[in-house]
Amino acid sequence: MGQWFAENGLLIGLALLDGLAYAALVFMVAVGLNMVFGVLRIVNVAHGSLFAIGAYAAASIGLFLASLGLPPIAGFAALLLAAALVGGILGPLIERLVLRRIYGQEEVLQLLVTFALFMILEDVQKLIWGVQPIFQDAPMKALGTVDVPFGEDVIPFTAYQLFVLPGVALATLAGLAWFLRRTLTGRVIVAVTTDKEAAMAMGIDAAKVTLLTFTFGAALAALGGALASPTTSLVPGIGAQTIVLSFAVVATAGLGQIEGAAISALMIGLGRSIAVYLAPEFEVVVPYLIMVAVLLIRPQGLFGRLETRRV
Amino acid sequence: MLELHNASVDIAGVPVLRDVHLVVPPGGRVALIGRNGAGKTTTLRTLMGLLPIRAGRVLIDGQEVTGLPAHRRAALGIGYAPEERRLFGSFSVRENMLLPAEVLRLPSAETARRLDGVFTLLPELKDLAPRRAAGLSGGQGKMVALGRALMVGTRAVLLDEPFQGLAPALALRYAEALKRLHQALPDVAILITESNPELLRPLVERTFVIERGEIAPA
Repeated sequence: MGQWFAENGLLIGLALLDGLAYAALVFMVAVGLNMVFGVLRIVNVAHGSLFAIGAYAAASIGLFLASLGLPPIAGFAALLLAAALVGGILGPLIERLVLRRIYGQEEVLQLLVTFALFMILEDVQKLIWGVQPIFQDAPMKALGTVDVPFGEDVIPFTAYQLFVLPGVALATLAGLAWFLRRTLTGRVIVAVTTDKEAAMAMGIDAAKVTLLTFTFGAALAALGGALASPTTSLVPGIGAQTIVLSFAVVATAGLGQIEGAAISALMIGLGRSIAVYLAPEFEVVVPYLIMVAVLLIRPQGLFGRLETRRV
Repeated sequence: MLELHNASVDIAGVPVLRDVHLVVPPGGRVALIGRNGAGKTTTLRTLMGLLPIRAGRVLIDGQEVTGLPAHRRAALGIGYAPEERRLFGSFSVRENMLLPAEVLRLPSAETARRLDGVFTLLPELKDLAPRRAAGLSGGQGKMVALGRALMVGTRAVLLDEPFQGLAPALALRYAEALKRLHQALPDVAILITESNPELLRPLVERTFVIERGEIAPA
């Protein structure tokens, strides 16, 4: 054991750091997916496309700003701008034109429609950005690396992945908890999530809340993609990978759980990256093994509550 | 106050209401009696604007509201307490009752006035106010649902089988609360559904009977 650890210790350290950064990104996507499901009662397969388009848009805007001769730090503005644009434009378009027509319909139909939307958006990405990898890591480079002490060794790790990604995820977690609990708009979203009809009978405009929630969830997914873009080369298929992992996170946490989504994103992010370093052949299955293990013991998810008694 | 004219409503393509005609006068107390599945809940949901109507008209205070969404009807002063009490479980009882006032952007003086009114009618809600709604018993939940409906319903409240599942002592308290409601706020119309006609007889002035989606001749 000691021998094994001496040989693999650095790898484990690197896997933990990588997993933390990855968990932060998956959380951003999963938490939006969760909110959207809560209000719309639709499992939106195309949520992953918003992640991918957010990533591509951030890279394009970043490259454009760099071509104007702006300093690399301007790349951070590109990340936020991309998230706002993708959420603010695609969000309302998708909700109004597509999703609004399938509320309350059979789940199979809803899955087919959002899957079709996912396929269409995949092709739109290829149409706009092509299939060649795009790489724009200016924001990550601008912050440099930090030497993280690990046992007797040090691991050089990018400050961007070490601080920015988990920082944004934590801020999102805290901000959302505050927003949903303390603001009227937040409480209205919770009310519609809990019981749409009762909420409408209390004077809540459910159509407006639905549009708002979807736009917000779309912006979170796009922000996740934008934040991911400096850490990886963008290729077709990143949307699919993300949405599938986010499903695993949401299922593991239990629906409607925001703090729970953070914890299960951490479990799945860490589990996946430990597999990447130590047993790469299991990279793809580990998140699902975690999910299946959790659901076998708690079918409602780690933090999901069973329906409260009605009578 | 509330009028349903020749209303036909389908749910998932199946006709549930056929040519229903029902009128609740201002301040009137009306019972809608029928078996399970007769169309009582559908009638209330149609009045509230929660279901699309296939044919017919809905009027509130003589104004046509047939296409008006539910939240706009709530703003007109129609309160609704669904059969399952359906409170917002993660909110406190007070938050449940204040939410409609906040959503409708009532001035704080008006909110306080309505809340006081509800506490006077249903004193037990005062003690429950800080409790989480998810932890209430069935009977307490029904009282809170009534209180919440009254925060909205300044002109009418629609109560869907409020006595269903209440222990006899609680049912008695609920009935007394309804009597006090009528004395305190005689202008508020009340429409109650129930499967047992005897229960409501002392509380209402007029009874409609619904059978298989049609109002039976009196």
